[in-house]
Amino acid sequence: MGKPEVKGTVTSLSSMFPPEEVQKAAKMVEGKLSEKQNEMNQLKEFIADNASLINLVQKLPDELHHDIMVPFGKAAFFPGRLIHTNEFLVLLGESYYADRTAKQTVEILKRRGKSLVSKVDALKAGIQDLKAEASFFDSTASEVAEDLVEIREYEEDNSTERASQSGPVELESPSVAEADNKVSSSEDDEYARLMSRLEELEKEELAAEDDGENDEDEDANANAAETETETDGDEDELTEAAFHRKKDEGYSSLDHGQRSLESQPRKQLQQSKGKDPMNEEMPTKYNHQGLTNQLACTGLTAEPVTKGEISHSRIIHQDTKMLNPPVNASVRSEKARSKQNVHDSSRNEKPVQTPKSEFDSSKAFTGSIIEHTENLEKKLPEQKTTSSQSSDSKPSKPVSRFKMQRK
Amino acid sequence: MSSSSAALRELQRDLENKANDLSKLQKDIAKNHQVRKKYTIQLGENELVLKELDLLNEDANVYKLIGPVLVKQDLAEANANVRKRIEYISAELKRLDSSLQDLEEKQHSKREAILKVQQRIQSHQAGKAKA
Repeated sequence: MGKPEVKGTVTSLSSMFPPEEVQKAAKMVEGKLSEKQNEMNQLKEFIADNASLINLVQKLPDELHHDIMVPFGKAAFFPGRLIHTNEFLVLLGESYYADRTAKQTVEILKRRGKSLVSKVDALKAGIQDLKAEASFFDSTASEVAEDLVEIREYEEDNSTERASQSGPVELESPSVAEADNKVSSSEDDEYARLMSRLEELEKEELAAEDDGENDEDEDANANAAETETETDGDEDELTEAAFHRKKDEGYSSLDHGQRSLESQPRKQLQQSKGKDPMNEEMPTKYNHQGLTNQLACTGLTAEPVTKGEISHSRIIHQDTKMLNPPVNASVRSEKARSKQNVHDSSRNEKPVQTPKSEFDSSKAFTGSIIEHTENLEKKLPEQKTTSSQSSDSKPSKPVSRFKMQRK
Repeated sequence: MSSSSAALRELQRDLENKANDLSKLQKDIAKNHQVRKKYTIQLGENELVLKELDLLNEDANVYKLIGPVLVKQDLAEANANVRKRIEYISAELKRLDSSLQDLEEKQHSKREAILKVQQRIQSHQAGKAKA
């Protein structure tokens, strides 16, 4: 497997969105916004006028005739009378007029008022959109001012792009990606293998439901799973975190085997394109198992911690050999215990092998399995053989959600 | 050298012409937009009138303002007139739409031509610099 190269580009936001342009855009949006505000004010005035007119029209027919001061020319009035107080010549539009009574006029005016109100509502919606645009531009401008950087990483082999935006130039993703690259190579092939393994693992898990596991562990696993799904680039970090969590909670050595198997496909899944559904699967499995499993691994806290440390260090530099022996051991443990998708490094299994038989059925696998593709390749052939053995020995149980094969 | 500079000048003149054409086109497009807006408003108003006319009784008086004169009109006649006006305005709008599309296409092609001329100028200048 060739190591996939990590290509990364770090582009500062200021180069992608030049500040002047951002400001220009912001100003444009502001201009449009003010235009709309003006229109809105005008429409509101119309609505107010309309309302007062309705009032007047309703009051006029109260009297047969009104005494008024009639405007005469530009600057003169003379006293006069307003008669025919119930007859109105209403402008319908486009220079068309109609004779109407007061009531009918009021109706016409009310209809006009309704159309005005609907126009105002439409304008309001437009204003909202413009405001959203303006706020986006403002935030972009501030980001540019802060010199935020956009980081993109590319993996050649898998041609998976990971783009992560970070605050002021955080470079953890490239380093993490590189670590991932070491682990994941020829993902496509391994993905297929992983799927088959996962299937078998799932079976085993279901079989081992009785064994139960720490709820804590499962939660940790679920958390780990969830966190793992968050960012691809942080896989190693996440697995580390999960691993540490496991250490704290304690896990049985038996679990290691399972964990390694599960975590490996998991990791691979994460790395491969189809990872999303798998990742989602994992947390749910965890939760389910948490509910069903009750066994807590208590006596092994000391052991797992040490083993975890060992395995953790190994995780990063893993080679396939480690996987094989743990796989064998894990097969047995699978039968005995619950099916946790914990990521545990396969390394963990190694040190744990000897005590495995002891943990039969009473220990829950709570560690996190950190799998590396390198390991998987070698493991797969072995796993297939062992899994067949294990499946025979296990009682038939519903297929576990994890379709990982376990040896 | 002189020949290339003459060619360069020619290219620049060409560029200026094209830029002028482009600005003209843009003005036309802006006008088109304005007229379209006016027509759209008128269309809306006419439709309102039609609605009100429909609500009138048969014997109601309808008047039309022609200049300073308010002329009494028949309801049916007024209805017909308003409908015809609506049709006329819609046809005008369609025409404007098609001409707007034409103008936009022309503008687009002009922009491309300008780009080409600019590129040629650049290559000329690069050639000149080398020489």
